[in-house]
This record gives sequence, structure tokens and C-alpha cells, in this order.
Amino acid sequence: MAIKCGLEIHQRLSGKKLFCNCPAHVEGLKSEGAFSRKLAAAKSELGKSDIAVSFEVAKEKTFEYSFSECSACLVEADEEPPHKLNEEALAVVVALCKSLGSALVDEVHVMRKLVIDGSNTTGFQRTAIVGTGGKLATSKGDVRISTVCIEEESCAIGEEGKTSFSLDRLGIPLIEIATEPDVVDAAHAKETALGIGTLLRMSNCVQRGIGTIRQDVNISVDGGNRVEIKGLQELGMMETLVQKEEQRQRKLAQIGEEVQKRSNGKFEIGEQKIVDVSEIFLESKCALVKKGMQAGGVVLGICVPFHAGLLGKEVYEGRRYGSEVSDYAKAAGVRGIIHSDEDMEKYGISEDEVTELRFALSCKKEDAFVLVVAKEKIAQAALSLALKRLEGAATLGETRRAHPDGSSSFMRPLAGGARMYPETDVEPIRIDEVLLKKAGKIKIESPEEKLAGLCKILPEHMAKRMLMSRNLGIFERIVEEGIAPLLAATVLEDTLVALRRENVAVERIDEERLIAVFEEYRSGKITKAAIGELLRAVANEPQKEMSALVREKGLAKISGVELATLVKAENAQLGAIMAKYRLRVDAAEVQKLLKKN
Amino acid sequence: MYSKDAQKLLKGAKVGDELRLHTSEKEYSGILMPHPDNGDENCVVLKLSSGYNVGIDAGKISRVDVLQKGKGIVVGSAAKKNAGGSTGKTSDAGKSAGSVFQSGEGKEFVSLLGCGGTIASKVEYKTGAVYPASKPEEIMESFPNISKISNIRSRVLFQLLSEDMAPRHWSAIAGEVADEIKSGPQGVVLMHGTDTMGYTSAALSFMLQELPMPVVLTGSQRSSDRPSSDADVNVTGAMLAAKSDIAQVMVCMHKGMSDDVCSLHSGVRVRKFHTSRRDAFASVNAKPVGEADVVKGEVRAFGEHRKRDMKRKLKLFEKVNENVALVWVYPGMDEKFVKKLGDFDGVVLACTGIGHAPVNAFGTKDANSILPALEKIMDAGTLVALAPQTIFGRINMDIYTTGRLLKKAGVIGDLCDWLPETAYAKMCWALGQERKKEKAAGLMMRNIAGEISERSAMDERVEFG
Repeated sequence: MAIKCGLEIHQRLSGKKLFCNCPAHVEGLKSEGAFSRKLAAAKSELGKSDIAVSFEVAKEKTFEYSFSECSACLVEADEEPPHKLNEEALAVVVALCKSLGSALVDEVHVMRKLVIDGSNTTGFQRTAIVGTGGKLATSKGDVRISTVCIEEESCAIGEEGKTSFSLDRLGIPLIEIATEPDVVDAAHAKETALGIGTLLRMSNCVQRGIGTIRQDVNISVDGGNRVEIKGLQELGMMETLVQKEEQRQRKLAQIGEEVQKRSNGKFEIGEQKIVDVSEIFLESKCALVKKGMQAGGVVLGICVPFHAGLLGKEVYEGRRYGSEVSDYAKAAGVRGIIHSDEDMEKYGISEDEVTELRFALSCKKEDAFVLVVAKEKIAQAALSLALKRLEGAATLGETRRAHPDGSSSFMRPLAGGARMYPETDVEPIRIDEVLLKKAGKIKIESPEEKLAGLCKILPEHMAKRMLMSRNLGIFERIVEEGIAPLLAATVLEDTLVALRRENVAVERIDEERLIAVFEEYRSGKITKAAIGELLRAVANEPQKEMSALVREKGLAKISGVELATLVKAENAQLGAIMAKYRLRVDAAEVQKLLKKN
Repeated sequence: MYSKDAQKLLKGAKVGDELRLHTSEKEYSGILMPHPDNGDENCVVLKLSSGYNVGIDAGKISRVDVLQKGKGIVVGSAAKKNAGGSTGKTSDAGKSAGSVFQSGEGKEFVSLLGCGGTIASKVEYKTGAVYPASKPEEIMESFPNISKISNIRSRVLFQLLSEDMAPRHWSAIAGEVADEIKSGPQGVVLMHGTDTMGYTSAALSFMLQELPMPVVLTGSQRSSDRPSSDADVNVTGAMLAAKSDIAQVMVCMHKGMSDDVCSLHSGVRVRKFHTSRRDAFASVNAKPVGEADVVKGEVRAFGEHRKRDMKRKLKLFEKVNENVALVWVYPGMDEKFVKKLGDFDGVVLACTGIGHAPVNAFGTKDANSILPALEKIMDAGTLVALAPQTIFGRINMDIYTTGRLLKKAGVIGDLCDWLPETAYAKMCWALGQERKKEKAAGLMMRNIAGEISERSAMDERVEFG
């Protein structure tokens, strides 16, 4: 059997936040205030706490939130109920539903999805289905759309041990497009994500830039449990991510089979006894253990039957099964585990200590062990969680966090539908004629139509590049400002990329500043050749006034009488003048003056 | 309720049943939800297996299949029936709930009494409907951490939203607290709606005199069904305060936006200043009595306060007169309105400035005066007192002619720095204690629980920025 894979694409929309009137565009601002909160588990609608939720509660954390006044208000601080759902954002989602062929619901019901890792001040994310069904045509057949949702952005994707958050991005409207598991392989996953991303950009109502689009991947192998991997930002890593996950799930299945083989199908971790083995380490040279015990911690251990040699097995290159177990333990607040397939010498644990340890834990030859060093309560919780992972080596239903290199790590158990209940503070929104009319005004061209339009103003190869580029929207805006299309495209697609390769922080140049740079050129204040240098200067000092940057970097264009005087004085050839004043003079103008002379 | 069309379409299907709806575009399978009271009654609401609710226009539905009969969803129906059942006569108020829940073993305990409000609400998760908790066990379930602070004896007195409370409920609560104190707790915690908590705390301050132990009111601004509710911190703070040394009526609510410290306000000095913030409550013309640090688990008292003395004998003065009005003075206030106030035994005027109302002190042609009407109702027996609508500061009726005219006419409240709400609660109480207007006026002007102070200290103003 092959893999089953579906995608969830989250894209930030432009305009205002979803449930208040704060702008949706601000990030990375200075913190102007802070507060701290605790989150308690509310019982789910079925009267039971959802598994993913209770997992977080086990951690009993205090979360710190910082905010800047212009990007967040009392709504984000959970000090004021949400206002009405942003109808402009809803109209965009309705328009996109139509272009995907999704059937609109007639009344949008906002739900609360419990997420108590601190990434939402409320302890839940507000989300609503706007459309269901529809499809995206791909080279490997249609990928069906299951749902199109509108939802609020969280403070951040919960990171390991993360307890401090900024409210800047909380509440930004997101469109979430979820596909059925019709994706057949890693390359197809990338193609599908790219296709949806392009469609989203066609609306011109979405935000651009790193972090404004995220791909979640749902994947299961050979009918095993589903794993959700959240927060992939770089589409370029999609294939690697899917490949690695496929590999991981297959490897886990193999490990599971091996355990069953060794145990004649009798392996069951059950209530494995957690043993305090601190005494063995009283004189230990192991720095990690010493430090932990000095801080009031204990060393707790468990025996893992039939697992000798398996914790060290790689699930994919650079990641061992032991790391998978460690991820679970970390959720309780420990920094990691020590397991028997690791190099004990590296830890400074002696052979005698290992022998004593194995004895204390009743470890047989075919068994492995796992240790944690922490305060007793935390250590207990950590090993209990590690046991959850060890229960069955096969893939567990998990939510995992995507890393930039295409690998992933465990976040929490996969949540069920049980963690949803209605957001009674927001009234249901009827999708009526007024809203449909508003959505109708949002023009979403098909990619083919868009390409045809671009080909009219750009050479074909550049038009194709522009179509797939996340800079498409800003390109169109720059062209509207009267800049030559080819120049705009070249600067966006080549100059900025080249600067990024030189490690210039081009992401610090926002849309307005980018347009201001083009304006400097259009109004004749700088030459075409200086655009790149000015962009570099803006990236380095994004707050500084444009005219000051031009002056300080010596980029002001020399022309007219000044240039004529210069040409006369230099009395040189075009080449010599250009070599000296490359960024400040226009070659055509110099040539003209030389001819005159 | 769904519209008639929708009901007709749904035929026998009941809320909780699993249905499949067919429209020309799609099929939807899910559990039929009750119709939310603010939605379109012609939209059928289904909960899909993903947990999401969607509304489908009944007009578009061509067929309904009932896939599975559900067990039905109980929307807190038992609780709803009880809710409001105790709003009746004074003699019945508070007697509705009998069951007592006791946690832990050992002699020392704190009494936890539920008076309704957001804090004592439960959520029905399928529909999101919030309903009042009717059993003490339900309240205890909502706050699993507080039994770590003390053994608890809990009872539910009412299931009232605080906006629905009347002075007779203050009496009932005072009576219940007095009963509770007889059973020997370390202190009493009252869970109460926040809207009118300041009124109740003021009234209890007058009714429960010579308190041997703390009586602490607490509530919540964000309902306890939310993971981010402030309820747990406030109740924890109130439990700590109930075990403290401060033997008076207090209000315990968040000090700031963080879940760490609660302020303890004097029952007669506290006011709700914000519709939604956790730190909505502040002390007026006084500093808080202290604070409860929930993180450290300690209470810090500020300045002088009456100490706990379990031998001190509580004096209960629970009688009230409910025929009292609290009226905001406003520009253009008219005689005909003031005349109507003659129907009341007492009126608190939340006056402008330092003690003013439109009485046309300059005798300008183009200005009205409510003075003749005021004099008339006072002559007929209505007691009238002033309290400042500026909230902060003290009344002084000798500064301007306007004040002097009101004072001469018999309006009381001169030199009082009480809150309008506190003055109102006090007048209900004073007219309940004394039938004669003059005697009640005397009682009004006597400081009972710190509601009238002698000094206005420099640092008693909340900074509003």
C-alpha cells in the first residue's frame, strides 16, 4: 500500500484582524507591555477532556504575553469579547471557495477549537467552515478539497517548552484549505501545495512573505495512524518532509515488528515500574546527572522490554527512535532522556554504574532502559509520557512540528473533533446576497488567464516566473505605479534574490519601502543601477528616511548640467566615466553628452 | 427554535439525531444541533464529524435521512427550571437549594456559597450554552485546585445573574452567611455575578456587623468554561482571603491583567469600572484592604483592619426597604421626572460635581429648576441623599449656591465620600432598619463600615492614565 497524504494550506489574508479592528500586517514590533496567564483544561463537550488538551495541562505552565499597542487590543489579550467576524475577510474566503468549486454553507458558525499550549490567549482558536468540496486539477489527477475554513492566526506554532508569546500576529485572518488524502507521493504534495498557493495569490487579498503561508501535511503509511505535521513554511522542503515522514513511519513499523518477533507477539509495555535509581549515581562522574541532582532532582529509570539496540535505530538519517521517545518526555519539561543505546562514556556514566542500573531496573539482556534526571514530579511525568510513545513502536496519531530542514518532531497527540464547541460570543453569519455581491467583486483570475496577461508585458520566461512568484501581487502594484514591467520583475526576482544570497535581510524591506525605492528611480533621483544598492541600504536600516539613505550611500543621480560639467572635466571615454560613476550616472545620458562634445 | 418550514422538513428528527441532508450541490452528514438564538431560524445546524457546525438553508434541502437516533442533548434543562426559581419573596429567597457538599476531613473549613453569576456557570459543550450550576458538587468540580487550600463546605443559594438581584436577595444572603458562620467556618466565600457585586458587598457590610471572620465575594469576567477564565485565580484568592486575618466584607478580583495577584477591596469601597477586563474592579476613595497572591499562596494586608476574632459575636441587621431609587442627575433633568420620585421612600441622586443638580441658582430665565419638585417629594416623606457621579471625591454642599440650596431643602449627603452604589445600598438598608425618615437620615450619615471617611488621602485615586 502506498501513502495516504492530504494537505492543509493556511494563508494569511490582508486587511484587519478577524475579530477586532487591529491591522493584520504588523509583526516584529517593540514590546510595550506584558502579562502572564495560566490556562486550565475545560472539559470537552463529551464530558471528557480531549487527549491533546489533557496532554498540555499536564505541563501546568504559566505563559507570558507581550504586546505592542498598535498591533493588539483587549480582544487579543482576552480582556474583551470578540467583535463581529471581519466580513471583508469572509468575502475573500467566499470568493476563493467559488474558484475552487466548493459548496458554500448558508450560515457560518464560528467554533472554539481548544488549544492550550499557550499559543492563544483564550485557550482556543476560533475557526469556521465556509465551504466544503471542490477540487484542484493536478498532473496526477484531481485533488479533492474537503473543507475551506476561515480562522484566526495564533501567537505562534507552539515550540518546545515555549511559554512566552507576542500578541502581534494573534487574530490575523487565515484561510485554511484542506484536501482529501488524494496526494499520491512527495512530488505530488509539492505540486498540490504550489497549485493552491498560486490560486490564493490570484485573489490579491492575501499577505505575502515568509510565514504568511504555511503548509500542514497529513500522512499515513500502509493504513497506519495519521500524523499531522504542522507549520512548514518553505515549499521547497515539502518533498523532503513527506519523504522523511514516509520513511519514519515505515521504520517505526519495522521496529514494532522486530519487538513483536523478539517477544513472540507478547510485548506490552503496560504499567512499567518507574524506579528511583538516584543512589547509584551518588558518586557519579556524569556531569548531567550531578548537575540535576544538585538542583534537587532525582534519577528515575524504566526498563523497556525487548528493545535492546532498537532505541538507537535511525528512523531516517540523523534521527533515532530514541529521539522520538525523548520528544514525548520533553513535553513534561525535561531536556531529554538518556537511553541504553547511547554512548554511556560520552555521558560519563561508568560500566559499573550501568551494571548496577540494569540490576535495579531488572533489565534483561534483550531489554533497553530509559533514564531522566529532573525534579521528581517532572521526572515521573516525563517517564509516563515516554511510556506512551513506547506502548507500540508503530506510528502513533500525532501532531508534529515541521523543521526548516524537512524533519519533524513530536508536539502532542493528535486531537479529536471533541475539542470543538461553539463560539457563543460571535453570532452565526448568514451568507446572504450582500456578502455574495461583495465576494463577486473580488476578481480571481485563473492562472492561465493571469499568465496570458503577464505575457503581454513581460517576455514569456519572465511571465512564467512571475506567475509562480510570491511577489506577484507587489509586482502588479509596482507596475501600476508606472515602473517598466521588466525592470520591476528583474528587481523582484533577481536583484532581491542576489541580495539575500549575500545575507542581506531583504525581508526587512516592506512593500511600501520597496515601492519607495522604485519611486526614487522613477523620479530621477537615482539611476537604475543604484536600485540594488539602495535596497541593500534599506534592508540594513529599514527605519531611515529614503533621501537620507540616498545621500549617505552616495547614490544620488548626477545628470543635466552637473553631468555635463563632469563629462567635460573628466574629458574621458564612456567606459572610464562609467567605471568611476557607475551607480550615479545614466550611460545613455553620458553617451549623448559625449557625442555633443 | 427552528422556523416552521425547517421543522416541517426535519419531520421527526430530534436534536441529537445523526442526519444526512441532501441539497442540489452536496450531502451533509452530522448531528442535528439546537438552533442558536442569534442565528437564522431557517438554517438547519449540523455538527459534522470534524466537530465543526454548519448551517444549511432549509429551503435548499431536498431530503433528510435520519441515520441514527440520538440520545438527545440536554441543554441544562434541569438547571434552567431551577434558575430564577428563587427570585420570589424574601422569605423564600435562598431557601431553594438544600444540598451541602463537604470536602476533606478535619475541623477547619471554609464555607463556599454559590449565588450564581458567570463564575458558578457551566457550559453545555455541544451547544455552547451557559447555564447556572445547580449543585454544590458542580461548583467544586469546576475548581479542583481550591480543596488544596482548605476543606470546603459548599452550598448553592441562588442561581441568579447579578443583574437580576434585588435588595431582598442581599438580605437572604446575609441571613445565610450568618447561619453559615454559626457552623464555625474559618471564613465565608460568596460566588457572585460581577455586575452588581459592589452593591451586594456594600449591603452585606451594613447587615453583617461585628464580623468574627472574613466574608469574601468573588466572581469572574470570563466564564469558567474557557481555558483562560479568571475564575480559578479569583476563587483561589478568595479562599486565601477567607482564611486570612481580615475580618470584614471584601471583594476579591484580579489586580491586573495577569493571573497572579488579586486585590482585596473593602465591600463599601469597590466598584466595577470595566465591562470586560479581568481587573475591572478598583477601590474608590480608599486603598484596597490588601491583596491575595495566588502564586505565593499568601495574603498581604495594607494598613489597619479589623482582626479575626472567632469569639466576637456577629450582629445581623438584614432588613431592607426595596422602595428606593438610584437616579443619575443629568443636564436638562426635568421636574416631571423628579415628581415621580415621590413614589419612593428614598432616593439617591448621583449628583454632578461636588454636590449639584439643576436648581437654577442664578435665577436665569432660560433655566429649569428641579428644586420645587424635590422639596415637594421630601415634604411628602421621601429621603433624598447625594453621592458624586464623578465617583472619586467628596460631596461638599457649602461651596456653591446650588449645593447650599439643596442642603437647605433637606437633601443629605454633605461631606460624604461614598459611592452612589454604596449610598443606594445603605439607604435600602437604613430605611429597612428605621421607619422614620429622620432616624433613617441619621443612620445614613453615620459611618457604619468605612463608607464615609474622615480624611481624603493623597494616594487614593486610581490612575486612569
